[in-house]
Amino acid sequence: MGIISVDKANNLFWLGRYTERVFTTLRKFFRVYDHMLDDSDQDNGNSILNYREYCGRLAIPDIYLNEQDFVTRYLFDRDNPDSLVSNMERAYDDAIVLRDEVSSHVLGYIQLALDTFDGAKNANMPIFALQPVIDDLFAFWGCVDDYVENEECRNIIKTGKYLERLDLYLRLDYRMQDIEKEYSKMLNRLNKTKLHINMEKLEELTAIINKKTELTENYREALNCLGEIVEVI
Amino acid sequence: MRKLKFHYRTVMRFDPPVCRHSYAVRCVPVDTQAQKIQIESRYVKPADSLNETVDGFGNHRYVGYCQGYHSEFEYEVRGVAEVESMVLQKEALHPIFKYPSKFTKHEPEVVELYRKMCPLEGDELQRAVFMMNYLYEHFEYVPGVTNIDTTAAEAIRLGKGVCQDYAHIMIALCRFARIPARYVVGMMIGEGATHAWVEIYYNHGWYGLDPTNNLHVDDYYIKIAHGRDYEDCVVDRGRFYGPTTQHQEVYVQVEEIE
Amino acid sequence: MQNLIDRTAEINKMLARYGVKFGIYKNNVFKEQLFPFDPLPRIITKEEYIPLEKGLIQRVDALNLFLKDVYTDKQIVKDGVIPEDFVFSSSGYLPECEGMVPPKGIYSHISGIDLVQAKDKSWYILEDNLRIPSGASYPLIARELCRRASPQTYQSNRIIDNRNYHKLLRDTMENVNCGGIPVIMTPGRYNAAYFEHSYLAERSGCVLAMCSDLFVNENVLYYRDYKGEKMRVGVIYRRISDEYLDPMTFNSESLIGVPNIMDVYRAGNVAIVNAPGNGVADDKGIYYFVPKMIRYYLNEEPILKNAPTYLPFYEEDRKYVLDNLEKLVIKDVAEAGGYGVIFGRDLTKEQLENMKQLLIRESRRFIAQEVIDFLDLDIMEGNERVPRKADLRAFVLSGETTKVWASGLTRFSRQADSFVVNSSQGGGFKDTWVLSQ
Repeated sequence: MGIISVDKANNLFWLGRYTERVFTTLRKFFRVYDHMLDDSDQDNGNSILNYREYCGRLAIPDIYLNEQDFVTRYLFDRDNPDSLVSNMERAYDDAIVLRDEVSSHVLGYIQLALDTFDGAKNANMPIFALQPVIDDLFAFWGCVDDYVENEECRNIIKTGKYLERLDLYLRLDYRMQDIEKEYSKMLNRLNKTKLHINMEKLEELTAIINKKTELTENYREALNCLGEIVEVI
Repeated sequence: MRKLKFHYRTVMRFDPPVCRHSYAVRCVPVDTQAQKIQIESRYVKPADSLNETVDGFGNHRYVGYCQGYHSEFEYEVRGVAEVESMVLQKEALHPIFKYPSKFTKHEPEVVELYRKMCPLEGDELQRAVFMMNYLYEHFEYVPGVTNIDTTAAEAIRLGKGVCQDYAHIMIALCRFARIPARYVVGMMIGEGATHAWVEIYYNHGWYGLDPTNNLHVDDYYIKIAHGRDYEDCVVDRGRFYGPTTQHQEVYVQVEEIE
Repeated sequence: MQNLIDRTAEINKMLARYGVKFGIYKNNVFKEQLFPFDPLPRIITKEEYIPLEKGLIQRVDALNLFLKDVYTDKQIVKDGVIPEDFVFSSSGYLPECEGMVPPKGIYSHISGIDLVQAKDKSWYILEDNLRIPSGASYPLIARELCRRASPQTYQSNRIIDNRNYHKLLRDTMENVNCGGIPVIMTPGRYNAAYFEHSYLAERSGCVLAMCSDLFVNENVLYYRDYKGEKMRVGVIYRRISDEYLDPMTFNSESLIGVPNIMDVYRAGNVAIVNAPGNGVADDKGIYYFVPKMIRYYLNEEPILKNAPTYLPFYEEDRKYVLDNLEKLVIKDVAEAGGYGVIFGRDLTKEQLENMKQLLIRESRRFIAQEVIDFLDLDIMEGNERVPRKADLRAFVLSGETTKVWASGLTRFSRQADSFVVNSSQGGGFKDTWVLSQ
């Protein structure tokens, strides 16, 4: 109908954020997991992290006993608020109240992704079994483009998506050129919405990114600005 | 017939302030067969939006809304009422006043009390007056022991209460005795708060009885609203946002003029 | 048909994918459950459907006239057709609605009439639901998926397409629109029927609103968007009960609802679908009188039968009920959703005696009915067909004219020995086919 309430704007924004969070961290997880297969002391000289560093970077408490425990509880534990399945559930919680805005088709992919977690938990190769989550989220994004008729809705979801992606890229030490790219995508969407923007923080962030130097050490400053740009309840 | 000058004012204070306040206020008396009302001044504030409506029982209501933060909410009505004494207000009976309502259910206490007093003699009015006398004799006026949620049965068990409780018990007894009855909120001569009494239906009309004072309702009373029981006549209802404590001051003054 | 049966698992999988669920609270924890779908449809032939349709329209028209009468002239009571008690001591009668005639005089816009078919194929009305009957969304989406799963089945049978429910709903709402956007109001996703609220909003193009998105200003109802702009609401299909609709008029403890919406309604500035106060026409006590209403208002003979019903309130009926309790079913007038239903044959001697005392003491609180010899419907249990109790909720929409949706929700009990088909008690559902020839 093209009319979006405050609550729905909030749900759209967070639907974008949580789906992106699951998508990007899951892909990153695959690499961390791959790294874990080798001797943990082995330094292969690149930026792939071990799980402890990974938790530190994402600022989630390291509650895990060992690598195996991390795999199980970070991926599948619904009682762990930082687990991927918990984030997927939050995406579901936002999506379920948006059926009339985003359509049942779009919702279906969120449902499928969530159900995949449950199915994969008991599979004998849980990591492998999670691949469909990535596929479903790709499909979800494609479907958002095709089935969400209201442009404003799409812009709010995508503002959330790119903001989250930028957040994760900053944390996970992506290269400056990737960060710049995602930053400009976010800005493009953000400017098309009527979300309340904290201009001061936005300008600060812009200044940091415009320096075009790698952010290795002072990424936290950028993160803090990013966290306050969109004022949603 | 008397001329009564009335002044009714309520101030509610919120600390800390509240916002998004919706309200509905029954504070304006209207013309009936017993009273003619001339309003001199009235207001409800603060209000971003304020409308006058009439509820299903014919009572006047102010309905309004205030979006912003405010620490006070108040309403006031001033005017003059020309009131007739002990009037039988002729009108068709709505059947709803025959049946128990939320606060006046035929619970065992009501039945037992009725059996105790056995008001068998006379017409509806005589029996109702008999019950009023009995209630006045056997029930004690004590503020603070009951609250706005106390039912007739609970009040009977306690044996004491305020005008609201007298009215509820009286209504429960009357309806049990197949005498239609309704709850009335209004003002009475003097200074203080609002008052509650009862109207019973007989001989094709409504007639007022005040069980708290054991009186027939005469020309010292001004009616504001009526309904099945307290809940239909709540003076103000509100819903607002914000954690707050509220403090309410009610001022009613009715005096005779000329 | 075999083709459709073979695809049952896939169809149920698709239903899960689209979130076709209902919510229930178990030990105060909210859970979403799938609504099990059975592929064998209930089939209503054209010959069967014609009188059914006529009968339903007749019944709902009479019920709407009754509601108008009760809240205005009360002629049917004055003429002694229905005892006053059954109207005015009903908890469904709302004096707050006294004198209210809603836009175009329609009170029950969406009526859910529950029926069962007896072994002799005749239909009996079980109950009328004139408040917020739910369930239309389930067959609506199931048909869509079944047609995809087994196109052949639909090619070879002449089945009236039922995928127009959202259009009927929207037309019904627009018919009474007082000028503004159409809104479906939901109490939120933790409501049992939230799927339906959101799905109907999606399909009908209405705005799905939470109570907090709506507000009243100068006796007009508005929807507030995230930019702070407000849109006038002309018609609201509210999926919350009367009690919670307006905390300024009804239950003041209600944390949901829209304050002062009743005044907007009273001023004629918004249509509420269904009208508040309809409960007076659909409680189990008033059910007994519906055939009398049809004769009274329409001067016609009722086309559809009530289940044989007795009111212990009447002395003659009471005597019969007390003498035959063990073969009757007793229903508590105040209960719904399959609760408060007691079969005499299940009671011990002592319980029977207690029930009799209760019936004498609170005669107005209960009705008694003959147990109808249901025509069971087959369902698939694994690869086997087994018979189960089933009912039909027909949806009747009162817009410019009164229309019956050529389908309905067929619910069945999954236990062989159970008569209770309610989804909240573990039942499943079927599609309902109405044949075009």
